[in-house]
Amino acid sequence: MTAGAVSVEPGAAGLDLARFLTGPPGPFPRVPLSDVLERRWLHYAFVTTDERQALIANLATLGAEDGGEPIRTSVLLMYHREHGWTCSQWHAHLPIDPWTSYRSPAPSTAVPRPTDFAMQSLAGRPAVALRLTSTATPAPAGVSHFHRTNWKRWQAQPGVLAEGRWDDGMVPARETLAVGYHERVLGRWAWPEMGGWVFGFCNQLADNPEGPPRWAVVFALLQPMDEGHDHTAMVMVWRRGRMVLFVPRRALRVTVAGQLARDRVTTTPRLAPLIGTFSTAPIPAVLCIDGYQGADWIQLRFRCRDAARLVVPSETSLPPFSVHEVIGDMEVRIKMSGSTETFASPGIVEFAGGAAERSWSALR
Amino acid sequence: MPSGRLRYGAGLGPAGPAAPSRGIESAADLLARTVETLARRTPSVGADAARELGDIVLALHFGDGSHATLQAHHNSVVVNGGLAPGTVECFFNDRSLLALYDLEGRPSQVLEQGAFDVRGTPEQILAVWRTFQLLAQRAAGLRSVQSLWMTYRQGRGLALAVAANGHEPGPDADVPDAAGLLRGSEAAAESASVATTRVLWNRHAGEGWWAFEGPRDADLFDIMERCRRRVADEILTLIPARHPVDGLYRLMREYPSRGGKGLRPTLCIATCGAFGGHSEDAVRIAAAVEMFHNAFLIHDDIEDESLRRRGERCLHMEHGIPLAVNAGDGLNLLAVDTVLTNIERLGLARTLTMIHEITHMCRESIEGQAVELGWIRRRHVPIRDADYINMVSQKTGWYTCRSPCRLGAIAAGHTRPRELDLLGEVFKEVGIAFQIQDDVLNLIGEEDLYGKETLGDLLEGKRTLMLIHLMRTVSARERRELHEWLGRPRSKRTVSESRHVLRRMEQSDSIEYARRVAARHAARGARLFEDTLGFIPQSEGKAILRQVIHYVNTRLL
Repeated sequence: MTAGAVSVEPGAAGLDLARFLTGPPGPFPRVPLSDVLERRWLHYAFVTTDERQALIANLATLGAEDGGEPIRTSVLLMYHREHGWTCSQWHAHLPIDPWTSYRSPAPSTAVPRPTDFAMQSLAGRPAVALRLTSTATPAPAGVSHFHRTNWKRWQAQPGVLAEGRWDDGMVPARETLAVGYHERVLGRWAWPEMGGWVFGFCNQLADNPEGPPRWAVVFALLQPMDEGHDHTAMVMVWRRGRMVLFVPRRALRVTVAGQLARDRVTTTPRLAPLIGTFSTAPIPAVLCIDGYQGADWIQLRFRCRDAARLVVPSETSLPPFSVHEVIGDMEVRIKMSGSTETFASPGIVEFAGGAAERSWSALR
Repeated sequence: MPSGRLRYGAGLGPAGPAAPSRGIESAADLLARTVETLARRTPSVGADAARELGDIVLALHFGDGSHATLQAHHNSVVVNGGLAPGTVECFFNDRSLLALYDLEGRPSQVLEQGAFDVRGTPEQILAVWRTFQLLAQRAAGLRSVQSLWMTYRQGRGLALAVAANGHEPGPDADVPDAAGLLRGSEAAAESASVATTRVLWNRHAGEGWWAFEGPRDADLFDIMERCRRRVADEILTLIPARHPVDGLYRLMREYPSRGGKGLRPTLCIATCGAFGGHSEDAVRIAAAVEMFHNAFLIHDDIEDESLRRRGERCLHMEHGIPLAVNAGDGLNLLAVDTVLTNIERLGLARTLTMIHEITHMCRESIEGQAVELGWIRRRHVPIRDADYINMVSQKTGWYTCRSPCRLGAIAAGHTRPRELDLLGEVFKEVGIAFQIQDDVLNLIGEEDLYGKETLGDLLEGKRTLMLIHLMRTVSARERRELHEWLGRPRSKRTVSESRHVLRRMEQSDSIEYARRVAARHAARGARLFEDTLGFIPQSEGKAILRQVIHYVNTRLL
């Protein structure tokens, strides 16, 4: 077995056997976080196949000041179409190491698999215990570099299946199947330099719900607080688990209109008001993306339905910033190789940024 | 006024109810109805247009042969029909008129068409252009104004150019029409303003989604009615239906059932929304404020010996003073109980802050009322406007404007004293303007609209700004006579005597003076609103608050 050009014998003292026996050591390079602005996270978002429930989970590691221990946060946000949102605090319990396609080998379907993704609020609910399976290839990594020393690198993967127990505390716990999205992010950035972003995805289920989605779309728009040349945008399309279209930023346009009624936005976690949470800009009511690549093109129309505003304590300043997780209906038209496909599917879009810096500067 | 007058924009003249379904006779009629709609629904647009217009009298000549003049009057603009001289002359044809209001072209393009002609000095032309731009850009975004213009277009068979969309994406395709998705949708129906497409990324540059400044203007007319109805429903649900119904609970329901303007509920709910809260979070506390308000009214009507309230006989006239006093007490108690019920939804900290605010509000109102009743008891009429202003700031300002806003912010979870004080300072000015206008309406408003007996304040001997101004203006002999008249009990003051006093006020310009003072306070409130409340992001909630500032001194009821 080799690691780069160096030959290493399994079982040698000080070596992590698992690292060599189970594929890549991921999901991140084994380099310590050296700076308070450095961060890594794993992100998960799923919508149940009956389209009634959704979950968003984020596990982050943030660099520590003065060489101390890094800070870890974990949050579990769950949604029910009739009952709204429920959320853990920023320290949801993780009884096992979470599954990630960037570390785990492709699972065997021949034998029953144990739970490989479990999260639980310390209050008991919301909680999930799932078996995750990737059915699509990951996208190439996207990189945004801004404000000289700030950068963000992310890699996304749609078509992740989640099967297991959902207990959001709003309806009785149940076993269900969901399909979603997984992402790893690493980078170094500060707020408000980061500005904000719009990330989103949707999966159109195939006839066989345990196989890869018929179509899957992932898009990203990063908008640092700088001139437009630092902005990054992309749309990616998968067909039956294989990526078939990549639209770069120079070939796509993103527009929004209207605003989602404030009553459709729930601020979470419930203790958020205690950390001095100001209101943010309204979330758009609709989001449209058009892009083309040669003769192929894609049109995306997303209507926001409900949103949770996750208030995130800032590492570098008193005011928190916000990430809005928005559930809605996605309509997609794709033209590829001369034929046009249209489908509609629930989608999740994340509008991040817009922390109320103005509020604080006005009051200082 | 010229005989060919169409209708006022914001004057106290007989402005009829808006009737968008009625056909529009001419371009001048369209302009008059647009201005009327703005005055009723979005007074801040009229106020800003008036500021741009200054003392210019704009004579407008339309392609269909109709004419009108447009000029500023206090905090609004007024349209008069017919051919009249102006300091600036404007000539339109149909194309240029629609081009201006539909924002289909940039101003320079409109001018290039040669269809729009303005004659005046360069400074005046620029001021007129800014006025049109302001009216076009802000009014055209309002659903109610758009419907008027649609009616006009349809009546004259004029098509509106619609940007092509929906074709395949490609290098030359149009920008995705996000606003198109909202047209006719449920989300659009909830909003009074018209959504426009905003580009976040255009292949080369873009702006953050969060940089969106929410709508600057909101349709106050609809929103006030919605807020009023929601809070009235809440109050009627909270008032028990148990024994004794006839002696207490039916009486407690009377005033809340009679309608009203809905100003306090609107302020409370809009502020909550402006601070990022849910409108439902503010409903309970808005209901509590309305209960206190109705309890004050019942007691106030007895103290002032009033006859009519909200178009009907006062409660004490209908059921006698003892039962009315008791019903007022009942409403006060229920209001306290209602504040406490916020614990369930908003938690202990916000509820305790609300109790603190409510206690302060009640104390200010009672102190203000004591000052006014003391003047009447001692037969004293203050000489200085400042005494009156201080009194109304306490008596009305707190519970009509300041506290509803502060409570709305608290409902949204914002309890920082500095923020609340900045908000309070703005709405202190608004409260003063509101009360002066209320006093003016009591003298010259339409009883059907206003709901109280006309001249009631004079019959009650209420110390208003007009009375204080009149006392300052008249001769020493007349002042003595007025003092003697005001010293009599209400039963000894007749309607004809009150009419005489009103005539003297008109002759002495006291009413116009009071309106000027009200406009000054509203303008100061508007200035403070823009200068000091920058920490509140633009949103529909903030847009409603902006409209309220101008509504208070242009309202007709």
